[in-house]
Amino acid sequence: MTAPHGPATESLDLLTAELIAAFDGWRPETSSWDERTLDAWACRAFKAQFEGNTPYRNYCEARNVSPSDVSGWREAVPVPTEAFRVVDLLVGPDVDAELIFRTSGTSRGRSAQGRHLVRSPELYRASLRAGFRTFVYNEDNAAKIITLPPSFTQNPDSSLGWMLDDLRVGIGSGDGVSVASSSGIDWGKLDAEVGESAGKGRPLCLLGTTLGFAEWLERLEDGRSIGARLPQGSILMDTGGEKGRAGLERSSVMRGLGKRLGIPPEAMVNEFGMTELLSQRYGRGDPAIPLVGPPWLRSRVLDPVTLEELPRGETGILCHFDLANLGSVCAVLTEDQGRVIGDGIEWVGRTQGSPPRGCSLATAELLEAQGHA
Amino acid sequence: MLEAWYLPGLEESPAEWLESRTRAGAAFRAPTLSVDQARAVAGSVRDAVREARETRSTGEVIESIARAAGKLSADGPEGHAARELLRSELGWNARLVRETLEGMSRTWTREALTGLVDAELGGTACLDGFVMDPLWVGPGQRSRRALGSPVVLQVLAGNVPGVAITATMRALLVRSGVLCKLPEAEPGLLPLFARLLAAEDPLLGNCVAATWWPGASFPAAWREWARWAGKTVVYGGDMTVEAVRRGLPADTDIVAYGPKTGIAVVLTDSPPSSAASLARDVCAYDQQGCVSPRLVYVVGDSTRPFVEHLAASLEAHTRLHPPPSPTTAEAVAIRAARTAFEFSGYEDGRSAVESPGESLAWTILSSEDPAARAESLPRVVWVHHVPDLQVLEEVLRPLEGRIQTLGYSGTEELKKLTGLAVRLSVSRIAPFGSMAWPPADWRHEGKHQLLPLVNWTDFETPE
Repeated sequence: MTAPHGPATESLDLLTAELIAAFDGWRPETSSWDERTLDAWACRAFKAQFEGNTPYRNYCEARNVSPSDVSGWREAVPVPTEAFRVVDLLVGPDVDAELIFRTSGTSRGRSAQGRHLVRSPELYRASLRAGFRTFVYNEDNAAKIITLPPSFTQNPDSSLGWMLDDLRVGIGSGDGVSVASSSGIDWGKLDAEVGESAGKGRPLCLLGTTLGFAEWLERLEDGRSIGARLPQGSILMDTGGEKGRAGLERSSVMRGLGKRLGIPPEAMVNEFGMTELLSQRYGRGDPAIPLVGPPWLRSRVLDPVTLEELPRGETGILCHFDLANLGSVCAVLTEDQGRVIGDGIEWVGRTQGSPPRGCSLATAELLEAQGHA
Repeated sequence: MLEAWYLPGLEESPAEWLESRTRAGAAFRAPTLSVDQARAVAGSVRDAVREARETRSTGEVIESIARAAGKLSADGPEGHAARELLRSELGWNARLVRETLEGMSRTWTREALTGLVDAELGGTACLDGFVMDPLWVGPGQRSRRALGSPVVLQVLAGNVPGVAITATMRALLVRSGVLCKLPEAEPGLLPLFARLLAAEDPLLGNCVAATWWPGASFPAAWREWARWAGKTVVYGGDMTVEAVRRGLPADTDIVAYGPKTGIAVVLTDSPPSSAASLARDVCAYDQQGCVSPRLVYVVGDSTRPFVEHLAASLEAHTRLHPPPSPTTAEAVAIRAARTAFEFSGYEDGRSAVESPGESLAWTILSSEDPAARAESLPRVVWVHHVPDLQVLEEVLRPLEGRIQTLGYSGTEELKKLTGLAVRLSVSRIAPFGSMAWPPADWRHEGKHQLLPLVNWTDFETPE
C-alpha cells in the first residue's frame, strides 16, 4: 500500500511547507488529526527520508523496508538514538543543516556526543509553538516568559536553549526575559522579575531545568533569594527531571517552589524533550503524568528484546514518531523506559548500563578509566 | 522460593528474611542474621575445622569433596536437582546447563583436586604434617608444613555459575573452613553442594557456611564474620573489591580476583573450522566468564571470511543452545552497539554487523580497524582486523594485566604470540575450543590458587 497522497518523488521543501501550515493550523478543540491523517503524512515523510537520507535508506534496505511497505506511522523503521552519535541523519546534504544540536556527552560509558542536524528551524518552531500554546501557555493570561537556562547564543549546542529563546520572543507579547548569566543564573535579575510581577499583577511563565529550580528553592529557603506570591495564571515549567544531581526529587522541588511562589500543582508543567526529537511532550500537575503532546508526535512502548509493541500500561522501551523530524528521521527508538497512560505516556527512566557480567570485564570501561577511549 | 543459605550452627529458625531475584528472575531468600547468630555460625565452622584437622587426612577430604561434587553432574536425583536449580537461576536451557555442569565437574574430581594440591604444594602430606625439605642445604634437617587459616571469608559478586564451589573447595583443600557471601546471580549451587558434602561427611559439611545479603551492604553479621576470617577471598569487579577492602580491618589479608577479559587471535594459517571451536567458547558461559572471548583479532587477512564462518557457527550453536533472554539493559546495549557498527559501516564500509536479523541471540561486530573496545554483553563478539602481531600488541597494551585467557587458532607466528602474551601478563594461552574450560590447576589470574591461602611453618632440627 502506498501513501494515500503525495507525489512520486517527495519534495522536501514542499512537504515542509505543508507541515508548517498544518502545525500552525492545528487547534485541538476544532481540528483533530485522526489516525488516517497522521498515517498519510507519515508515508510521505518516510518516503522523503528514504529518498534523501542515505544512511537511513541503507538502514531500511537492510531490513527490507521501502516506502511501498509503509502504510502508516507505526511502520516507519525506527532508528536507535545511538545512530545520532555515529552519523549525521539528514535528508539532503549536510550543508543544508541550519542548526546543529548536540546530545549530552556520555551514555553507558560511551563518550561520543550525538548530534541532530536540523534542516528547517521553521518546522521546529511551528511544532514547538503549537505544542507550547496548547499544553502550557494560556494567551489570555499574557504571562511574561522568564527563562533560566543559558540561551542558544551562550550554549550553541543546546536544543533547549534554542527552544527557550524562541518561546521568549515568539509567545505572548514577545517580551520574555532571560535571567541566564555567563556563570549560571542571575539571581538578582530573577528576584527583580518576581518582585515586579507580584507588584504589578502580571503573571510569569517561568521556564527552567529541574536542577535550576532546585537551586532556586534552596536559595529561597535560606533567604538568599526573595520570594513572592505570584499572580494567578503564573506557570512553572521544568525540564530535565531528576538527572544531573543524585538525590534530586522533582516532585519535592516543584512542590516546594510552588508553595513559596503561590503556584498550584495544576499550573506546574513538566516538559519532556530530547535532542533527537523536535516536538515536545508536557505533563501537568503532581505527578506530572501523562505526558501529552501534539498529534504529530506519537509514542509506542516496545518490548526491549523483541521490539513488539506492548499492551497499554506495560513498561517497555519508548519509540517515538515525530513529524517535526521531517528533515532527519521521524521514527526514533530510545533507550528510555516508559508506558502508555491516559492519552499520553509516562517516562519511567533511562535504561541504566548493563551490569558487569561475572568476572568478565567490559574493556570499554577499563579503557575509559585509563583514558584510552 | 529458593533457599540461598547453608548455615550450620544456626540453632533457632530464622525469623526475618532477605529476598531477591537472580537476573533470570528466580526468587530466593536468605535469613537476616543477627550478630549473635553470625558469631554462632562462625564459631561452629571453626570448631568443625579444628575437629576435621584432627580426624581427617587431606586425602580423605578430597575423597569426600569429589564424591559430593560428582553427584552434581551425575544422572541421579542430586544431579537432577543441580540442573533444575541452574536452569531456574540462570534461565539457561537444559543442554547448556548439562554441558556447563559437566565442564565444571571435570575440575572437581579426585584426580583434578589431587593434581592441584600436587602442583602447588607438592602433595597432600604437607597439609597433614611436616614434610622433609629435600632442598635444604643447611645443617641438620628442615621440614615444612602448610596450613590454611581456620576460617576463610569468601565474597562472591560475579555471576559465573560454580565459582562459589570452586572457591570453597580450594579453602577446604588447605584445611580451612568457609564463611561465604553467595553471588546474587547464582546463589543456590554452593548450598546444594554443602548439603551433599554433609551427606558424605557431616563434619566436613559443618566446615562450610554460606548466605546472601545485598551486594552493596555490609550488615553487622558480615562485620562479625570478617572478625573471624584469617583470609578474605573476593571475586568481583574493581568497585566490589575496593568496597570489601574498605569494609574490613586494614590488616586483613585479601586475595582478590578482579575482572579480566578473554581475547582470541586468529593467526594467518588458522583453519576455517576454528570458528566453530570459538563459537563454543563464546556460548559456553554466555560471555560471562573472564575466560570468555569477547574480542577477536584476525591477523593479516580481512575479517570477512572468519566472520562468515563464525556467524554460521554461532547460529548453529544457538539453535542447539538458545541463550536466556537478555535483560532490558543488555537488550538496549546490544542494540546500541549494533547500531554504531552498522551506521559506521554505511559511512566507510569498514565495519559490519552479523546477527540473526533483529533477534538478539548472538551478534558479531566486525571492523577492519584495530581497537580494543568491547562491552560485556551476552553472545556479543567484537572481531577486528590487525595487520600483524606488532600492531596487536600495541592495541592490547592498555589491557596489560587484564587478559585472563588468550585463545589462538593456527600455528604461524604462534611463538611470537606467546611472547606477546607474556609481555602483556596474560594468565593463560589456550587453543580455541578450550578457552572457556581452564584445567583445575591453572594459574588463575597468573597466580597460584592454594599458595595464597596457606601459611608455611618451617621446622629446623640440628644434626
